[in-house]
Amino acid sequence: MQVALKIWRANSSTGGRELCEYEVDAPEWATLLDVLDIIKDRHDGTLAYRKSCRMMICGSCGMRMDGAAVLACKTRMASIAESGHVPVISPMGNLPIVKDLVVDMEPFWAKFRAVKPYLQPGYTVPPANREHRISQKRMNAIHKESLCINCGCCVSECNAMESSPEFLGPQALAKAMRFVGDPRDGAKNERLEDVNGQHGIWECTRCYFCNERCPKGVDPRDAIAKLGAESIKEGIDRDMGAKHAKWFVHSAKTTGWLRETELVPKTQGIVESIKQARFALSLARVGKVPPPFPPHVAKDVRESRRLHELLHEQELGGFAGVVQGEAALAKLANGHVEGARDPYGPGSFPKPEGA
Amino acid sequence: MGTVKRVAYYKGCLASLSAKELDSATQALAPRVGLELEELESVTCCGAGDIQEAEPDYSLHLNARILSYAAATGCDTLMTVCNVCTLNLRQANFQLIGDAELRARVNRNLISVGVPAYEHDVDVRHLLWELAEGEGWARLQGAAHKGLKGLKIAPFYGCQILRPSRILGFEDPDRPSSLERIIEACGGEAVDYPAKLKCCGFPIIQAREETALGELVQPIEQAIEAGADAMVTPCPLCHLSLDAWQSKLKATTGRDFALPILHLSQLIGVAAGLGESELKFKRHVVPVGPVLEKLDG
Repeated sequence: MQVALKIWRANSSTGGRELCEYEVDAPEWATLLDVLDIIKDRHDGTLAYRKSCRMMICGSCGMRMDGAAVLACKTRMASIAESGHVPVISPMGNLPIVKDLVVDMEPFWAKFRAVKPYLQPGYTVPPANREHRISQKRMNAIHKESLCINCGCCVSECNAMESSPEFLGPQALAKAMRFVGDPRDGAKNERLEDVNGQHGIWECTRCYFCNERCPKGVDPRDAIAKLGAESIKEGIDRDMGAKHAKWFVHSAKTTGWLRETELVPKTQGIVESIKQARFALSLARVGKVPPPFPPHVAKDVRESRRLHELLHEQELGGFAGVVQGEAALAKLANGHVEGARDPYGPGSFPKPEGA
Repeated sequence: MGTVKRVAYYKGCLASLSAKELDSATQALAPRVGLELEELESVTCCGAGDIQEAEPDYSLHLNARILSYAAATGCDTLMTVCNVCTLNLRQANFQLIGDAELRARVNRNLISVGVPAYEHDVDVRHLLWELAEGEGWARLQGAAHKGLKGLKIAPFYGCQILRPSRILGFEDPDRPSSLERIIEACGGEAVDYPAKLKCCGFPIIQAREETALGELVQPIEQAIEAGADAMVTPCPLCHLSLDAWQSKLKATTGRDFALPILHLSQLIGVAAGLGESELKFKRHVVPVGPVLEKLDG
């Protein structure tokens, strides 16, 4: 089949940047990586990109197709070629470009190292003549986070990191959860403190681009939520983000609906609220600051309060609360749901009029 | 005329209070697009992603309770008007439907606090989806008779109506078209710009304001550059960011963007000839007046 691509070429040493178009003949089963190999082998040997295993396990070939990070070796080209669409291939975002599709991964690895991605065991002595036994169920708590191949696709698309480059990011935080949830690790609370800083879990903007782009199903956003839940459970809750989250819990069990007006001082504190007074006035002037009294109480809110008390007794706190739903959601991810759409399937690239 | 579709209506926290204009517009619009709203009262906040982060087991149960009361109305559809509510309710729904043991546990807990068990499944759908296809779409054509007279409208989707797509799944998360089609059906011209599908920053607007504003400036600046008269969004949290926090961008950019932001129900409401008493534009921080004058002028 004929496959056409546009590739953003760049050279960090010369500063040059240009969009080059290529059209090659490729087999029906070709992936984006195969097409790049054909281009490099037969048409333009100067094209630079990373690759290794070509089977979605080494994490080398992360790059953007039409602005969205993918693994080149995972992306089949047949339906795209058939539709006549010419995708634009560019390097991953949020990382400095070295050449063409090669980015400097050092900032990525630096954040990875920052979460201490290795077991720090407590060296407890196992029972006499036995070994430490850990149930499958307990290890399931970190199953998804363990799937990470460090490809960078999540980091490439992270909206929070684009605005705040020092944000630890989805990959490092998912890795942190992989160790926080590992029962063999002896440093859980230190790890939680490490991810509760200025550029930790509470800077995640919840755009869900990471979940959407991850080629392995890690769901970094969910890992970040697990870290939040575990932090709050362990009393590590000084951050405004934690206070914000806790106020929602308090609202749900007292009035049902969110207690909006008190949200600002409860999250940001009195001093900051006073600083924001003029801004608050612009909202109050149009009626967007409802008076806290009388409180806006939902019907039958005692059911919500009782639920909260009941669940507290059942002790499924922290990240366990998120893990309990993962088996069902995995069914979704593996295609056991009607109506799931193929983004490159028929009809995805409508041809312009007269084409 | 067609039959009227009765749906369980979950308005969520914002439409109940600071974004009352969204509820008002939705309730006024509903009969004109063939929707009969059965408003749910014995419900709470859906968790907003925050309870999901603080006490995930509690948030699952809160959403199960909402789903249960929705099912109790006899409706097949639970309709939302907020992206975040949609994601949270759909996620809980998939967890309960996909895991019988989990559903049994949650139902035992619901029953023991006096809530009916969630037995009969409901489907959670945003108003956007109801009107972007099928009968709702047909009704929209007829309802939007006054039209928007070619007004340029920038669609801003908001993250959680598109991603994660395996949970939302209504349309391609990278090439959605529901808002554009509705804008055009209402007689407006949909304007394209790069940040259309990106994040407004609302979830961190308090805890990390600078980071959030770095996100927020993108859709606003780009929509203006693309010639938009106004912006429309299906999410009241995005609306808060885009409208109420727009003034904060003056300090970071030196520009007064003055881009009016409309809720989806309001945009369609204008095209359907609804008035200020129903649409309540006075509750917006960025004045909508200029764009309405353009329409009437």
